[in-house]
Amino acid sequence: MTKTTQLHSYHAQHAKLTEFAGYEMPLWYTTTMDEHLAVRNSSGIFDVSHMGRFSVQGGNSTSFLEGLVPTGVGSQPPGKAFYTLLLNDKGGIIDDLIIERLSEDRYLVVVNAANAETDMRHMMSHAPREFEVRDMTASTAMIAVQGPKAESSLQPLTELDLSQLKRFRCAETKVAGENALVSRTGYTGEDGFEITIYGTSNEHPRGALGVWERLASTSTPCGLGARDSLRLEAGFPLHGSDIDQHTNPFEADLAWVVSAGKTGYVGDSALAEPNARNPQKVRRGLVLTSGIPRHGFEISDSSASVGVVTSGTFSPIIRKGIALGLVNRGHSDFGAQLAVEVRESLQTATVTKPPFYDEKLFGWKRQKGI
Amino acid sequence: MEAPEGYIEAKAACECMDIQGYHIPDELLYTKEHEWAKEEGPVVKVGITDYAAKTLNDVVYVTSPKPASKVEQLKPMGTVESIKAVSEIYSPISGVVTRANSQLDSHPELVNKSPYGEGWLIEVKPSNFATERKSLLDATAYAAHLNSLLKK
Repeated sequence: MTKTTQLHSYHAQHAKLTEFAGYEMPLWYTTTMDEHLAVRNSSGIFDVSHMGRFSVQGGNSTSFLEGLVPTGVGSQPPGKAFYTLLLNDKGGIIDDLIIERLSEDRYLVVVNAANAETDMRHMMSHAPREFEVRDMTASTAMIAVQGPKAESSLQPLTELDLSQLKRFRCAETKVAGENALVSRTGYTGEDGFEITIYGTSNEHPRGALGVWERLASTSTPCGLGARDSLRLEAGFPLHGSDIDQHTNPFEADLAWVVSAGKTGYVGDSALAEPNARNPQKVRRGLVLTSGIPRHGFEISDSSASVGVVTSGTFSPIIRKGIALGLVNRGHSDFGAQLAVEVRESLQTATVTKPPFYDEKLFGWKRQKGI
Repeated sequence: MEAPEGYIEAKAACECMDIQGYHIPDELLYTKEHEWAKEEGPVVKVGITDYAAKTLNDVVYVTSPKPASKVEQLKPMGTVESIKAVSEIYSPISGVVTRANSQLDSHPELVNKSPYGEGWLIEVKPSNFATERKSLLDATAYAAHLNSLLKK
């Protein structure tokens, strides 16, 4: 049985729908191109309620999470959100996630929809007796507001001074009269916010719909098509495509997530192996001169296969085919010229450090006022 | 002529049918794979239908056969790609390509904006059109085909 989010009535009326991770979700409202450009140039909103949201609280919560992720947890101050990974014993990535530290001993863990059940099982298998991880997915909604105008779109709905909320910080407040958590995070490369709305459900979706409809008056509703092209253009991996249980953080080019010297978490001994830290293959960005790379296309040098495309699309900003892929370490230097086989023809591909757009012009680091 | 189910109104102005918002000009021939063919004197123009273009959502890349290359009826002749997906194009007729729409190199969005006009793909000198046209659908038959697809 396909699940729906609290905003489904809006999507069904306005969007082309698709199934994703067991949910019926909007694929696009107008076109993926227009929605993508709205986020890069102005502001877009996404229903991300399908993502799993778990509440972890109580005296043991910091040490519990500390034992699950390679990133230091106790060193994060309350009000901080951070990106990290759940690993298996072999150091493979079970999921990538955001942990929001709401207070000293209260956390919200936000995970990929497709992995939510697996993550919950994994977390519970490492939980102390009588420790509870509460699944908040159905009793909350989540909306992302992304783009250079995200702040001005959201500010009229909340008394929280958004200009004082820094990137990767979060705060509980009210949004359009609803209790909510606002974090300055996202999956597009742009400035923006992810809003978790508390105390709403599929039976009582008014709170979530109210926030969405007010934001929709100043931001462009965006579907999963634009969500995917935006994250890819920013160079963010998608779990299940670019990274999975067989990829470790070093292969995934996510070594920065592994706090130096940290031990005592699932996967730590596997990651301590020299081979794990110097993997044969590493995740890289590629820009093609022509053609559009897609998942599974082969990457080669002049003589042999040197890797595989794990996700690819057409970049609306640089107007070229772009990809993320796993590439043999020996061919992974930035600037290296490789080829991607696009339907029997070899297209030149340059190993490139994402994001694929010019950071002076696009993305959260962009120069203001030009 | 009996109108197929879902047929709304024949718009006299554009001489086309409209099936759930998808335009189907009366004067063209169609494949079940959503390509169209239009006889223009000695050549036949080829493109994809409004339904195909709208389903792709935002055409960003077109690969067509080059002039002088051969195409065969209902065999793959190229691809049309959106941000999200790749779609194979099947040639409605056999023959030799006389022209490819070079405007699409820099403006692939013309396929969405004008699938039956500026967004045409190739022009073919047909080798066996008299016989092959019998296996193509006219507008009414294509409309019925589209209707049955949309009902699924």
